[in-house]
Amino acid sequence: MVRLIIRALSRIFLVGLIIIALGPILWTALGAFKELRDIVTPVPKLFFEPTLANFQTILTNPVIRDGLLNSLIVVGAAVGIGALLGIPAAHVLARHVRRLSADAQFFVLSLRFMPPVAIAIPFIVIYLDLGIYDTLFGLILVYLITSISTIIWLAVPAFERVPQNIEEAALMDGCSDAEVFWRFALPVAAPSLFGALVFTFVLIWNELLLALTLAAKNSTLPVVAASITSLGKEIPWGVINAATVVLVLPPLIFIGLLMGLINSLVRNTPK
Amino acid sequence: MANISCTNITKAYGGNTVIEDLNLEIEDHKFVVFLGPSGCGKSTMLRMIAGLEEVTKGRIAIGGEDVTDLPPGKRGVAMVFQNYALYPHMNVADNITFGLRRQGVAAQEIQQRLTQVTELLGLEAFLSRKPRHLSGGQQQRVAMARAMIKTPRVFLFDEPLSNLDAKLREKLRTEIRKIHLALKTTTIFVTHDQLEAMTIADQIVLIRDGIIEQTGTPDEIFETPASRFVADFIGTPSMNFLPATVKANGSGLYAEAVGTRLPVETNLFAGLSDGQKVELGLRPVRLKPAEPGSEGALEGKVVLVENMGSEGQVITNVKGQEISFVTSRFKSISPGDHVHFAIKPKDIHIFDAETGHSLRSE
Repeated sequence: MVRLIIRALSRIFLVGLIIIALGPILWTALGAFKELRDIVTPVPKLFFEPTLANFQTILTNPVIRDGLLNSLIVVGAAVGIGALLGIPAAHVLARHVRRLSADAQFFVLSLRFMPPVAIAIPFIVIYLDLGIYDTLFGLILVYLITSISTIIWLAVPAFERVPQNIEEAALMDGCSDAEVFWRFALPVAAPSLFGALVFTFVLIWNELLLALTLAAKNSTLPVVAASITSLGKEIPWGVINAATVVLVLPPLIFIGLLMGLINSLVRNTPK
Repeated sequence: MANISCTNITKAYGGNTVIEDLNLEIEDHKFVVFLGPSGCGKSTMLRMIAGLEEVTKGRIAIGGEDVTDLPPGKRGVAMVFQNYALYPHMNVADNITFGLRRQGVAAQEIQQRLTQVTELLGLEAFLSRKPRHLSGGQQQRVAMARAMIKTPRVFLFDEPLSNLDAKLREKLRTEIRKIHLALKTTTIFVTHDQLEAMTIADQIVLIRDGIIEQTGTPDEIFETPASRFVADFIGTPSMNFLPATVKANGSGLYAEAVGTRLPVETNLFAGLSDGQKVELGLRPVRLKPAEPGSEGALEGKVVLVENMGSEGQVITNVKGQEISFVTSRFKSISPGDHVHFAIKPKDIHIFDAETGHSLRSE
């Protein structure tokens, strides 16, 4: 009896937590489909006539559309180049560098210690001098610091988990070091590496401060979304909600893919 | 020709020397076992021959060709690892044939050789499976097939059976031995299991702290151990050791231990002198029940009787010293009994009390 009560209470507690966690997100998603008068009513409305007008506003608004496009280009390039440089570097750190490995890894991690505010202002000056202020290239460049260091930091343990004997067996089969990396370490570590890429993608996708300071016309989606509040006299809640949904969607899809992948991996592991 | 010669091999990690000035000749077609306790350097030695570890000093030659600076893939050796080390993202057939495909061997020949090795190891049914869907024993068979298909000059086995259960270990051990009899490829097999070494080897190289303690056939190692360490390491149940003093007795010598006079075979131990401190080694399997009062008979109080199936190990206390012997008549003995047992003088091993070296003169 007591156990039943405890179980029921813990269920209720859990449901409460879920409501607290998901409530605002769901309310925002709901709000994206409401007209303004449905949003600003004194009595919140759960049932209403849904509209796609907000999304239409967002996707036809050139500023927002450009923001979305800029975000995709900048984040895609930063993560792509970061992976291209960071993943091989991580393999070298995990396998070949014996003595300096710990120091090198700490240095990479320490790149993430500095608050972006500290580098934002010097970067403005440098970028203005170099003529790359307010360019996508400039944003990609600054995000590379984040992406490379995060990818290395997450990929080193991924490669360390690859059994060393597998790489040695490949060496015995006549492979060169490059082949061992490309044909064995990379495919075997791929699921963990994919996780590292997703994490990095989300991290950069949501970045606001550097995007705000280093770009003006060529801003990314978080900056645009933040500036929607000043679109008109009335705060366009519906449009903001829709923008939030659009902003959240790519990382959400990415994470969903990741979860699916992890689940399929867990299912396939032998007992 | 695939004899292996290691000359003056030294291996150091930083300032820590694990193998020092090791010399070893392995004849063609031999099945050699590197045996020793964990951390003795036997695996390191194997990995240096494989090319997976750099040699700090010294040369390694396979079939007369110096391979010291060659990468692993160019040495004509194949290796089987303790944890199988199969390529997890490839199926069994791809695992086995990867090396040949990489070399660009014709597809038809690969297929032919694949059929050959899979038949030999009974893997036909698993060719399209991924390694993770195989049992440990099957995985190790795949690893062996992957090594065999390359028809290397030398097979290297790094504790290949340690992760398997006892029954399977025995089975695969026999299989490995049979394969060696059929292919006659020079083989080095690393293990810490002395029983495995005794049953499988043509020749055992017993290594301790990076130094070869003794090299010889399993018989030689068992019957004439070069040191107390070897004697202790080999044989189940393990040897009894008794501190003793050599004494002269007119015509001959005897060793006095636990208050008993044990006659010494002076033909085998010519260098002994009166008053010398030694350590006697008595194999439990060579100690036999004896009549009370007969020459060299030890008397002990039974502490424990261990049933080993057809025989039993009787552990006795002889004047504070634990001595065990093996007998088939163990069922009539129970703890608390007083028993008498003796050993033939030629079966006694005598070691220097200080250095542990065998004092055998021939």
